[in-house]
Amino acid sequence: MRLPSLRGRRLVSAMLFAGAALVAGAVIGACTSDEDDQQAQATEQQQQQMEQQDQPAAEQQQEQQRAAPRAQDSGEPRGNTIQLVQDRGTLKCGVKQTQPLFGFRDDQGNVTGFDIEFCKAIAAAVLKDADAVEYVDASDASTRFELLADGQIDILIRTTTITSSRDMELDVDFAQTTFYTGQGFAVRKDSGIDSTSDMANASICVQTGTTTEQNVADHFTDIGLDYEPTGGLSQDVAAAFFEGRCDVLTADASDLASRIVVRDDADDYKILPQIISKEPLAPGVRDYDSDWKDVVNWVVHGLIRAEEIGITQANVAAMAADPPNTEVARLLGVPFGDGEVATLGFDVVDAQFIQRAIAAVGNYGEIYDREIGDAIERDCTLNALARPLPSEAVDCGPGEGGIMYALPYR
Amino acid sequence: MSAQAPAPPSPSAGGPPPSDGVPLFYRRGFRRLLQQGLYVAVTGLVFWYVYDALNLREFGFGFLDEPAAFKVGNQWLTDIDGVTENRITMYLVGVWSSLRVVFVAILLSTLVGVLVGVSRLSSNWLVARLAMLYVEIFRNTPLLVQVVLVYAIFLVGAPIIQEVVNIGDFAFISNRGLAIPWPVPSDGLWGVPDWFVGVWVALLLAIGTVAMTIRRSRQNRERETGQPQFANRWAFGIFAVGALVTFIVLGLPVSIDRPYIEGTRYLEGMVIRPEFAALTIGLTLYTGAFNAEIVRGSIQALPTGQTEAANAIGLSGYQRLTLVILPQALRQMIPSITNQYLNVNKNSSLAYAVLYDDLFRVAGIIQNKAGHALEMFFVIIVTYMLISLVISAVMNFINARVTRVGV
Repeated sequence: MRLPSLRGRRLVSAMLFAGAALVAGAVIGACTSDEDDQQAQATEQQQQQMEQQDQPAAEQQQEQQRAAPRAQDSGEPRGNTIQLVQDRGTLKCGVKQTQPLFGFRDDQGNVTGFDIEFCKAIAAAVLKDADAVEYVDASDASTRFELLADGQIDILIRTTTITSSRDMELDVDFAQTTFYTGQGFAVRKDSGIDSTSDMANASICVQTGTTTEQNVADHFTDIGLDYEPTGGLSQDVAAAFFEGRCDVLTADASDLASRIVVRDDADDYKILPQIISKEPLAPGVRDYDSDWKDVVNWVVHGLIRAEEIGITQANVAAMAADPPNTEVARLLGVPFGDGEVATLGFDVVDAQFIQRAIAAVGNYGEIYDREIGDAIERDCTLNALARPLPSEAVDCGPGEGGIMYALPYR
Repeated sequence: MSAQAPAPPSPSAGGPPPSDGVPLFYRRGFRRLLQQGLYVAVTGLVFWYVYDALNLREFGFGFLDEPAAFKVGNQWLTDIDGVTENRITMYLVGVWSSLRVVFVAILLSTLVGVLVGVSRLSSNWLVARLAMLYVEIFRNTPLLVQVVLVYAIFLVGAPIIQEVVNIGDFAFISNRGLAIPWPVPSDGLWGVPDWFVGVWVALLLAIGTVAMTIRRSRQNRERETGQPQFANRWAFGIFAVGALVTFIVLGLPVSIDRPYIEGTRYLEGMVIRPEFAALTIGLTLYTGAFNAEIVRGSIQALPTGQTEAANAIGLSGYQRLTLVILPQALRQMIPSITNQYLNVNKNSSLAYAVLYDDLFRVAGIIQNKAGHALEMFFVIIVTYMLISLVISAVMNFINARVTRVGV
């Protein structure tokens, strides 16, 4: 046998070094696999979850793919977002920036929309300044829950559907629903289609979603009609529909509305009142942060209550100066007559937080009229006030006409 | 690097003393063992890591056997309702849709390639420059852009269904597609369409075989005697007469199904949907440009003596091309053109951009609902590979045949 040359020895040394580095890397990789186990669990949950519905139907599938695993399963209180927000002096609000009506960034960089108003209302309530909001782009459905779990945003207000699996498996808690929608159908007004029963053999453009295709297939099986699907990405199918390729476009009703409203010929289209899935859209906060969730919840309820009892942006100051009754006084955080100011039990915000929110954005009805208006019919939908109250309603079947609304299990 | 590397163990350090004075580390046997061991260890770790990180314990294809519960558009010759079928069936519907596009695009792009490639060498200035313009435009722009552009042209350019162009109640054009008459099996002598068509096909095959045999024998005689025997004309004539007799005796096996419009939907006939057309035309134009360059290159690679010799013996331009140039150029072309065919297969996934339900999109719908992304991508990759391998096999077979024939 010959001894290897010097050159050979160098080569061997280099190989050995590289081998050692590989082994070291593998060992380090193995040692850090605790995290991977958590991720693996999360992946497992996500897969189960993806078997269920997801959505607003318009969104893409992998959103939970990268959502962070639940940071703590112990149920210990964690974080104190309201303190964080007040110390920072701004509210980091994760919003959609690509959907007119709900969250849209215009040419000048202004972010407007229905969801944005709630960011302002919460900022006004907590920070006493409706403009102290930093709008973080959460347009990408696949990373929105991760932004929240990572603490890059304080609250997620972005046409996000409450579902049982999201609530239970992700690091997100949902506050009061701000908008009720569902998968709907858009047609040309002159098409003569008033409901899905008029759609026999229709050509339907189906926006790809997690279960959009299934919802429409299920529905047509139920009503015993046939149709001809053309499916694809949101903007592609919408474009095809507006060019007359299909008779019908199906997606979330709110999404349909925002596609139509930006068009010059918006008047030629209508959205059918028929809805074939449940999509309650609500603000999301992190798990185990009940003070923060309480505040968000009661700001939303406060804005709705203000509409119910007739407090508006215009008259809120006058109402606060001279409240007509004890409830108005309580809601606005002012004394009634010679009485004390009721704090409503909130010790993390002052008593006038609802008053400031109303002064900043108006009541729920005003927000709706300003941001959505006629683009999505409000009367006689779930987004209208619960009036007439069930006791006053007429023509209701057994168990109908109330305000019970179960959140979707999926 | 070598300075930081651990020093080789000294000959005296540990282990049994080497018999021939070579340190253990430098013995060939030990070195091989070490290398193999390291390889196995590292590979094992990598696989274990992947297995663990991707949670492959859940890996399985059972989800494909569950009801699909969605519909797939753009079907042809099939009308499979995903509401009642399994996911795997709907996936195969998508595969069938992809195959149609690939097959048609390969045929058309070859045709375009030969025509344009030959035109580029034309002595006609205009023809040559037009061919060059085509090649440069379609070879230098992205395929995605071309496909989307063609689709947009169909959607915007063609009239909406309410203003459909009616060509004599025979064909219809709108942006829902081109509807044309299409043959469907008709009831034959025994009232069973499938049998009847089968009998027809069998008879035609028999007549065709007879015609080909006669053609072959006439070709042989022509080669032996040098006298023209008109083999092709004979073969064609026999086939035509045979088919005519069959038709007179048995009647037509198919009836022509004319399309009509009810409401906003085409019924009967055959509908070429804009999604299919856009994808196929996009692929054809793009691949055709590359094929044209391959054809031109292969022709130019032939010695000029071939053309000169063909001219010298008085062949016409067409004869020179079909008898002398193309058969020889074909041998050069096939390997390069095979690559283009494989590209057509892979590029067919751009269906995603034009709302065409190919295998990739159907797989996406399944994945949306069922999760199992890894398994689905595994299936997708295997499918594309299989299609590619079949194309390669066919082309290798053709290549072997072409190169076997002596020049």
